[in-house]
Amino acid sequence: MKRQREMLESLKNWLEIRIGINEIIRQQLTEYRMPENINFLYTLGAVALFGFVIQVITGLLLLIYYIPHAGHAFKSIQVIMTEVPFGWLFRLMHVVGSNLMLVVVFLHMFSVFFMGSYKKPRELTWVSGALLLLLTLAFCLSGYLLPWSQLSYWATTIVTAIPTAFPYVGSAITEILSGGRHVSDMTLRRFFAFHVGVIPFFYTLLLGLHIFLIRRIGVSEPPSGHSGEKKSSWSGYRHESHPSGPPFYPHFVIKEAMAAMAYLAAMFFIIAFVPELFSHETDNIPADPFRTPAHIKPEWYFLAAYQMLKIIPNKFIGIVLQLTLLSLFLFWPFVDTSEERNILKRPLLFVMFIFFMIIWTAFTVWGKYS
Amino acid sequence: MKYFLYITIFLFITSALAGANEGARTNNSVCIECHASDIMEPRFKEIVARWEKSWHYQNNVSCHDCHGGDPGDEAAAMSSERGFKGVPAPAEVPSFCGKCHLGVLNNYLESRHGRELKTSGNAPNCVTCHGSHDIRKADINIISKQLCSRCHSYEKAAIIKQALFSIENKIKGINEEIVYLKTKGFLMEDQEKNLFRIQAEFRFFFHTTDVPLLKEKLSKFDEDIETVKRKTADSLKEIEFRKDYAAFLMLIFIGAGVVLFFLSETYRD
Repeated sequence: MKRQREMLESLKNWLEIRIGINEIIRQQLTEYRMPENINFLYTLGAVALFGFVIQVITGLLLLIYYIPHAGHAFKSIQVIMTEVPFGWLFRLMHVVGSNLMLVVVFLHMFSVFFMGSYKKPRELTWVSGALLLLLTLAFCLSGYLLPWSQLSYWATTIVTAIPTAFPYVGSAITEILSGGRHVSDMTLRRFFAFHVGVIPFFYTLLLGLHIFLIRRIGVSEPPSGHSGEKKSSWSGYRHESHPSGPPFYPHFVIKEAMAAMAYLAAMFFIIAFVPELFSHETDNIPADPFRTPAHIKPEWYFLAAYQMLKIIPNKFIGIVLQLTLLSLFLFWPFVDTSEERNILKRPLLFVMFIFFMIIWTAFTVWGKYS
Repeated sequence: MKYFLYITIFLFITSALAGANEGARTNNSVCIECHASDIMEPRFKEIVARWEKSWHYQNNVSCHDCHGGDPGDEAAAMSSERGFKGVPAPAEVPSFCGKCHLGVLNNYLESRHGRELKTSGNAPNCVTCHGSHDIRKADINIISKQLCSRCHSYEKAAIIKQALFSIENKIKGINEEIVYLKTKGFLMEDQEKNLFRIQAEFRFFFHTTDVPLLKEKLSKFDEDIETVKRKTADSLKEIEFRKDYAAFLMLIFIGAGVVLFFLSETYRD
């Protein structure tokens, strides 16, 4: 034990001489202060990051056995589920994790919106976070085709056909996505390349930017409750340091670790007791381009958008409307420039938020049962 | 949208062509045209209606597939030069059906029914039990008191049916387990192939009338079925193990969360 401690100490000294590790630990962990009245919702970002790390690790393990070829993909998934030692665990963690991670990212965005944490000077943090949400959805979409099952094949056929509603460029977008006029082996290869190469690259870059912005500006304090900190206007750059707040490490890290444990417990609860929560029986039937299943529905996170497109008679108008809403969501901090961060003191915005939530939920349920 | 339209048109044309081919094999046959027409005697005319209800019809087996001839040429449709065989004599029926049903032909010929047919020319042949045109899917229930009692007592047939039924039921049960395991994402290819092989070989013995021999053969099937069953049973146990394992991990993480909570309480001040 003593010898190990000495080794650790010598490694620390080695790093101290070369990169000044003690200063980094002090600045970024022990003396990095969080707002005094911080709440549990602030752990959601870290949990989403934790979820992403799980997806990367389980994804890498699946990558060893998965074969990205239309003739072998489905069977390779069955081999992972049946013959690879604990392959079932990693695959279910990946499948359930992708959905849980989205839930956490959605909750994180809602909490940021609700607490007005996107306001000046954190507009770029919001935009990078919103882009991360879109990339998470792109992860889910590209990963969905990879098992090459009936559901994944036909759901992808629907999704890749959506851009054709656009005049001039629509067909070209669909062909770029599909690698042809319909979903084929080429689509699978493209989606695989996007899923394991292109999207992770941009995701990592954006994630780095997102974390950099949070660290650079400092964590925003909750709008409600008394922080006891003196507030000043944002006329120039400054780091919001919260000198009287608790340190990031160990106080807040423990809370984040607790949230991560809750995330894992929820994940294994689903795997143990409701493993089919995020799957469908056609997930276990190999893709058949000549046999369309009776009811093709996208995953729950696309149901609201799917239902909206279904009820709008003109597809082009439907997609333009969705892109407008998406742009509004992406650039919301530049639309809502009011300085008041407490949404409860802004009844109109609060009602709009609740209205949006109800509509979104209603469209999701409608899409599911329509 | 354009490509959707192309795909739809392509699918429409290919399905129409496929339908047209089917039509050529069945409805456009001159055999059917003639036999369904009013010039035909009622006993010949009703053949078409009976055939249209048959398992052969559902599987695109048309008149010429059994009787030969040329269904596309009215003049030569019943020409022996085009392979027309007409109606087989009772003793020729087994070889007539056995052209396609190779697997069961020998089993039948070795049976009491087959041997009797060979020696006396007067014994139950394929059509006696399965029908000639309104052939239904081969099923264990073809062995019935109503059918067998037409020629002999039912006791022996009942014993045979019971023995076959027991194996058939086991195959059905394992097949259901395989389907269930596949819905859970299990790779069941080997078990499916083995069960298919067992089922196909088992069907070859459906015509055996020698009870001791049949029981001996069926005990071999029983062993093979047990081998497949053991593997599916292992997979079913694996589902339980997975559930328990995931539940155990869940408890571990709940426990870790509780420990962290108490640890965080010590940092409160």
